[in-house]
Formats: sequence, C-alpha cells, structure tokens
Amino acid sequence: MLSAGLILFLAALQGVTELFPVSSLGHAVVVPPLIGLNFRETSPAFVPVLAILHLGTAAALLFLYRRDWARIIVGFFRAAVRGRVSDPDERLAIMLIVGTVPTGIIGFLLQDPLKSLFGDPRAASVFLIVNGGILFAAEMFRRRDERRRAQVSAQVLAHEEDDPAYERVEGLSLRTTVIVGVFQAGALLPGISRSGITMAAGLVAGLRHEEAARFSFLLATPIILAAGLLEVPTLGSDAPTLLVAIAAAVVAGLVAYASARFLLRYLRLGRLDPFAYYCAALGAAGLVFIH
Amino acid sequence: MRGSRPLALALLVLAVIFALAAVFYFTTKTSFLASGPPAIHVKHAIVFTVLTLLAVVAANFARPKSIQA
Repeated sequence: MLSAGLILFLAALQGVTELFPVSSLGHAVVVPPLIGLNFRETSPAFVPVLAILHLGTAAALLFLYRRDWARIIVGFFRAAVRGRVSDPDERLAIMLIVGTVPTGIIGFLLQDPLKSLFGDPRAASVFLIVNGGILFAAEMFRRRDERRRAQVSAQVLAHEEDDPAYERVEGLSLRTTVIVGVFQAGALLPGISRSGITMAAGLVAGLRHEEAARFSFLLATPIILAAGLLEVPTLGSDAPTLLVAIAAAVVAGLVAYASARFLLRYLRLGRLDPFAYYCAALGAAGLVFIH
Repeated sequence: MRGSRPLALALLVLAVIFALAAVFYFTTKTSFLASGPPAIHVKHAIVFTVLTLLAVVAANFARPKSIQA
C-alpha cells in the first residue's frame, strides 16, 4: 500500500495535470523517477488510488459545469426518446456521446498493451515532447488562420478571439466531433494529454480558445468518471484507508477545480504555447536524467 | 435528417449482440477480450450494457420518422 503522504502528493499532481494540457499520466510516469520518489505507475497499489483521484477530478468538473450538465442530461433523454435533435443542449449531448465513444472503445480494447508503457519513463518523455509539438502546431495553425482572416476582413479587433467567425462548441459538426473523439484516444499514451489533444483539435476546428477548453473539459468528464467508476469493483486489499481515500479525492477535486478555473480565465487572452514549451522541457529532462 | 430503415435495423442487431455480450460477461467466467485467468468481468459487462443502450438510442435516431404537419 502507498503511504498517505505519497497519495496526497499524487492527488495534487493529478489535480493540476489532468486538466492542464500537459498529461497527468505522463507526469505520474516521469516525475517520480525524476525527483527520486520510489514509486511506479505499474504498482498494483496505484490502480485503486488512480480510481479515487479520477472520481475527485470528475466531481470537480461536474461541479464546474453543473448547469451545463443538467441541461445536457435532460437534453440527451429528450433527444433519445424523440429520436431527433432540436435544440443546442440536445445537440451538445449527442456530440459528447459521439466524441466519447471512440476513445472509450479504443481504450477498453487496448488497455493491456498500453499499460506496458506505464512502466517506461523514457517512452513517456518522448510522448511529452510529442504533446508539446501538438500544442505548438495547433497554435501555429491558429495564428496563420487569424492572420488570413485579418487580411480578408481588414477589421481591427481588440482580441482575435472576438472574431465572430470563431465558434462556440455548439457550432461544431458531428463529423468534427467524431474526429476529435478518435484523436482523444491518443491520450491513452502516457505523455499525450487528453485535454491538450482535444483543445488542439478544437482550435484547428475553429473554436475560440476558451470554448476549446470548455469542449475539452465537457468531453473529458464522462471518460474520467468512467475510468474512476469502472475501477471501483476491483478495489481490493491494496485500496487506501477510507480517510486517506476521501482526503485524496478532495485534494484532487479541489486542485482540479482551481486549475480548470485558472485555465479558463487564462485562455480568454492566453495561448497554449507555454504548455507546449513546458511539455517539451519536461520530456527532454526525462530523456536526459532518467536511465 | 431523413431516416434509414436498414441502418436502424443494423443498429438494433448491434444492440442485441452487445446485450448478449453483456449477459455473457455478467454470467460466465472467461478471459475472452480480457487479461488474466478466467473470471467474471463486471467492467466488460458494464461497458457492453452501456454500448447496448447507445446502440438502441442510435437506432431510434436512424429510423424513418413520420412528417408532422
């Protein structure tokens, strides 16, 4: 069983990195050997801890978007019974399902081969660098698109995101959502960030930065919740005590909530480049210092 | 969107297959599509139950609908 201190440290690390586009799994694989912690992601004692941390993070996301989720759930049942989509909430509900199913199926089928990568910090370091490249490429694509739009409209905006051509999540097509869902499966690799890959795909699809983050968080919620709930029946003797489990879930949830609020505020004006540089630097450090 | 009866039927057939898989995993000790020794795989059963429900919903979307005045 892992110590309470280590579990709380992992809870805080998970809370920050799950929603920032920097890969929580990559951090859990690379950071412990980098700072000399005697801990392995492949340890059987980590599975119940991860399930608990996922439940805490999912609870934070459900709370953050509680009004959206209430509308989405009602919208889903309305659309499912009628067999037709007739308002934006129903459309968003169907989009989230369409975007979640590919990742769910791919992750479910490939979970065992992928788990072998969890014990390889150098592989995770390489994927972190790739993740940085994905974020950087998405921002480069967006900048080029903004320049092109500015030349066409010759209109000076306070911020490029004020351009009405950049959409809200509800404006995405179902086909785009399926593509984003398939790309999200890439985040099953340790080092590739789920929120990073979905934010990048959202930006390329023409969403505003803040909306790309909202889309990413809404899309992540069912997957994170399922990842936690599906492990609950397997919790056994390796599970931490109830008090430690509750404390870890609360820490992961609070830190995740604060991270999400910070990121949404930051992305009103900021871009993903700092996260791209950070991922590349951490990946490079992993390759240099972990043997 | 216009409906498609063949697509709706195909999705219903898929739903039945998923339902059978869910029952199989709930009731039979197996290692099919799962790691480790043969066991009851509750996780697999839950996933196939969810897929059954989604296939039924998708079939409802795909079926042709009468046009209301």
